[in-house]
Amino acid sequence: MEDNILKNLDSYLTFELGGEIFAVNVANVLQILELPNITKVPKAPEYMKGVVNLYGSVLPVVDTRIKFGLPETEYTANTCIIVLSIEIDGTQVNIGAIVDLVLQVLEVKEADIKPPPGIGEKYKSEFIQGMIKVNEEFIMLLDVAKVFSSDDLVYIKDSVNETNN
Amino acid sequence: MGKVVLVVDDSESILEVVSFTLENNGFDVLKAKDGKDALKHFDGANIDLLVTDLHMPVMNGIELIKEVRAMPEYKHIPILFLTTETQVAKKIEAKKAGATGWLIKPFNAEKLIATIKKVLR
Amino acid sequence: MESLQKKFIIEANEFVNNLEDSLLSLEKNPDDKNKIQEIFRIMHSLKGSGAMFGFDDISEFTHNLENIYDLIRNEKMVVTKELLNVTLASVDHLRNLLNQKSNEEVKNEHQRLTNIINDIINNKNKEEKKDIEIASPIKQVSILRQDIKNQDLKTYFIFFEPNENIFSNGTNPLYLLDELNSMGTCKVFSRLNKIPSIENINVEKCYTYWDVILATSQGINAISDVFIFVEDDCNLEILEIAAYNLFENKFFIEEIENKKFLKENISIDELQKFISTLSNIEVEPEKIDIPEKEVISESIEDVVDEVKPKPKPKEIVTHQIKEKAISTIRVSSEKLDQLMNLVSELVTTQARLLLFAEESKDNELIAIAENVQKLSRQLRENAFDMCLIPIQTLLTRFKRLMRDLSNELNKDVEFITEGAETELDKTIIENIADPVMHILRNSIDHGIESEETRVRLGKPKQGKILLKAFYSGTNVHIMIKDDGVGIDTEKIKEKALKMGIINFETSYSKKELLNLILISGFSTSKNVTDVSGRGVGMDVVKRNIEEIRGEVEIDSVVNEGTTITIKLPLTLSIIDGLLVKINNTCFIIPLSAVDRIYEADRSVLENSFNNIIVFESKQIPFLYLRHEFDITDNCPSKQNLVVVNYEDKQIGLAVDTVVGEYQAVLKPLGKYLNKNEIFSGASILGDGTVALVMDTNKVINKFTN
Repeated sequence: MEDNILKNLDSYLTFELGGEIFAVNVANVLQILELPNITKVPKAPEYMKGVVNLYGSVLPVVDTRIKFGLPETEYTANTCIIVLSIEIDGTQVNIGAIVDLVLQVLEVKEADIKPPPGIGEKYKSEFIQGMIKVNEEFIMLLDVAKVFSSDDLVYIKDSVNETNN
Repeated sequence: MGKVVLVVDDSESILEVVSFTLENNGFDVLKAKDGKDALKHFDGANIDLLVTDLHMPVMNGIELIKEVRAMPEYKHIPILFLTTETQVAKKIEAKKAGATGWLIKPFNAEKLIATIKKVLR
Repeated sequence: MESLQKKFIIEANEFVNNLEDSLLSLEKNPDDKNKIQEIFRIMHSLKGSGAMFGFDDISEFTHNLENIYDLIRNEKMVVTKELLNVTLASVDHLRNLLNQKSNEEVKNEHQRLTNIINDIINNKNKEEKKDIEIASPIKQVSILRQDIKNQDLKTYFIFFEPNENIFSNGTNPLYLLDELNSMGTCKVFSRLNKIPSIENINVEKCYTYWDVILATSQGINAISDVFIFVEDDCNLEILEIAAYNLFENKFFIEEIENKKFLKENISIDELQKFISTLSNIEVEPEKIDIPEKEVISESIEDVVDEVKPKPKPKEIVTHQIKEKAISTIRVSSEKLDQLMNLVSELVTTQARLLLFAEESKDNELIAIAENVQKLSRQLRENAFDMCLIPIQTLLTRFKRLMRDLSNELNKDVEFITEGAETELDKTIIENIADPVMHILRNSIDHGIESEETRVRLGKPKQGKILLKAFYSGTNVHIMIKDDGVGIDTEKIKEKALKMGIINFETSYSKKELLNLILISGFSTSKNVTDVSGRGVGMDVVKRNIEEIRGEVEIDSVVNEGTTITIKLPLTLSIIDGLLVKINNTCFIIPLSAVDRIYEADRSVLENSFNNIIVFESKQIPFLYLRHEFDITDNCPSKQNLVVVNYEDKQIGLAVDTVVGEYQAVLKPLGKYLNKNEIFSGASILGDGTVALVMDTNKVINKFTN
């Protein structure tokens, strides 16, 4: 049921991260926030940047760069938080994802979505829903529920070993 | 001003449904959850009719009826009791205690109002 | 109407709970008349109100049960174990019916229980029949009445002579006559000849009686129904005198008008004779005007006026009485949740207001803000209080479980409860039932030994399980203690070593070993009879309790028994906290844990190699939180040491600054940060930033190990 709705929604929000472009289905996007004051949570995993106040409730914030194996950089005026709503173990959870830059909303025809890349890619294929090509550039459609519900890094440190599994 | 009916039942839902029906039919309703509670209302209030359950904790309906009948001002008010018993014994006991009539549960709104009108105009 | 039904369900559920409770105590004390009466009363109510709210199945189901307890209450039957079993099973079944469950299982159970109950009743009836035949005259009468169908208009003669004391039942005979009048065309003749002379009149007696001629289509049945309440209090005769409407016959009208005028008695014989003559005369039906409602002769009015109860003063205001009567009201728990949410919002907003006021340096504004703070604190405490429920509300379930299990496992166990009045937040109460039931089940199943074993060990035959609730500081403790087999820590150790959970080199305290059974997967159902069968599902218990910020503690002595203590916070929503800062991150330490605060030099803390500092000649172990939390920037030269209570010790937590007391509205950190073990939640400060609420016990646990 849920899956069908998501599949049928063909709008994607694209964002930039370390020079590459990713996209998330708008069905998962609640809103986009300017970077607020983040409260660090000691002893949390490295990619957990901390928590922020989202209209009176507490929103955990993930540094997507770290999750994707990119070096941490200084935040700029463009840095912002995409508030995502994802399902973890049957409950809806809100998570903030820090990204370098939010680009635009794309209409994507289902037919244009190519299957996720197999061997030789630097991101684990389970996190990628598919790919589209826009202006000669590949955009990776992320399966956000999988990306953010897992402690694993999206980035494959040793791609040869991983793909053999 | 409508007639004042005191409804006594330990079951809150019955209490509610009876009061609701009565209020919709223009009666003023006082509520009590047992005999003892009900007696408080007789202190100074102006009650035209008593509708009471028989089985209640603290003070049951029969005792309540006897108490009410013993009060000079309420010697003659109509008293209806609610019962599910089809046995005659309970009814006779309640009548002996001074009840005017009875209503067999379950009853609907029409039956309730009709019975009340029977003893109260 | 629907909401009334909901109310009924809530109430009926309470009834069923009380029923269960009463049954359990009846079992202990089968001669307790009050309990039997109570049980009968509840069944009676369920039967009566069930049908009124559309639960015919409940009404039907309770009917025979009620009869059984009616017999018991009249000492015609005795309470047996079987009967109690059936009744308790019925309690469960009633719950299902109330929750409108209607699957195959429920239907089968319905049939099964109905059959058993019917058998009990039938057997009883057979016995009874041997003794005496009981006839029911009332039933026969009602059958007779039903024979008469409603037909066209017929004319009836009714003789109604109430007993003299009819008024004492609150009956007003005039209402009955009026009711007859409403059924059709009616003539009433009052008979006043029994009225004594004025000096002998007793105004409370009824001396008048009546002859009534009524033409109606409603049948004799309906007419006797009018008199249903007074059947036994009067002489009543109802006769059909003509199979048509006599009032259409002008001769008849003349005759009775004449009689009325003369105030002559109507003799029924004469009347019938007269009517028979009428039927020989050809009458064209002729409309004769009879004023429709002119019925009750004035003379009756006169007499009755005298005997009517005296009008009572009308001035008394009923509202006054209503207010006096309401001492408690029922509020839905959603409404309470809403209230708590609003209070939380208010407290958060108040923090902002205070901050803003202080920055403005406007004294008047500051005074107002402080007043709002005071009020919101009071409001908060008040609202809390409303959400507190005594543990008592859970006890019946526990008692029932113990009873069923001790039967099932054939272990004689005495279940004792203490501190039932101890109150907890309703959300906590809702969440402890399952864990506590689990612990109790473990206690009786794996803790209490079989009778033979107990006797062999020189223990009393009867096992004992104690459930005790009590306040401890700002916590509530629920202690479950049995006098059973206990837990052998040596065996735990053996197993843990085998599983590789612990190693040979380290020495473990008894407590640490006992705590191993709380680890997920340590004991499984496969080794129930093994060492730590006691641990079955304890990991789940621990998790459930931790979800409500509670803790589980185990203590045990082999062959003496096991004590499991659940420590719970009083509330989950707002706490009084101490706001502290490390660098620019805010933390909240629950005020209930804080003992005192010292100031210490940063260098002393950093250079201490055993993490112990001396204040007022007391050695205080401390945690330098900057280090533990990996915060390195902007370290001030002075640190504050917040000394908190940890078990029976005192431990200092070093922070940069202490801001002050703070009412913290607890917000969950969310599933995403649940794995985090040192913070129980977060709170939003006046300036909108988030402060983390420390669970001091867990902080200390984590960093001292």
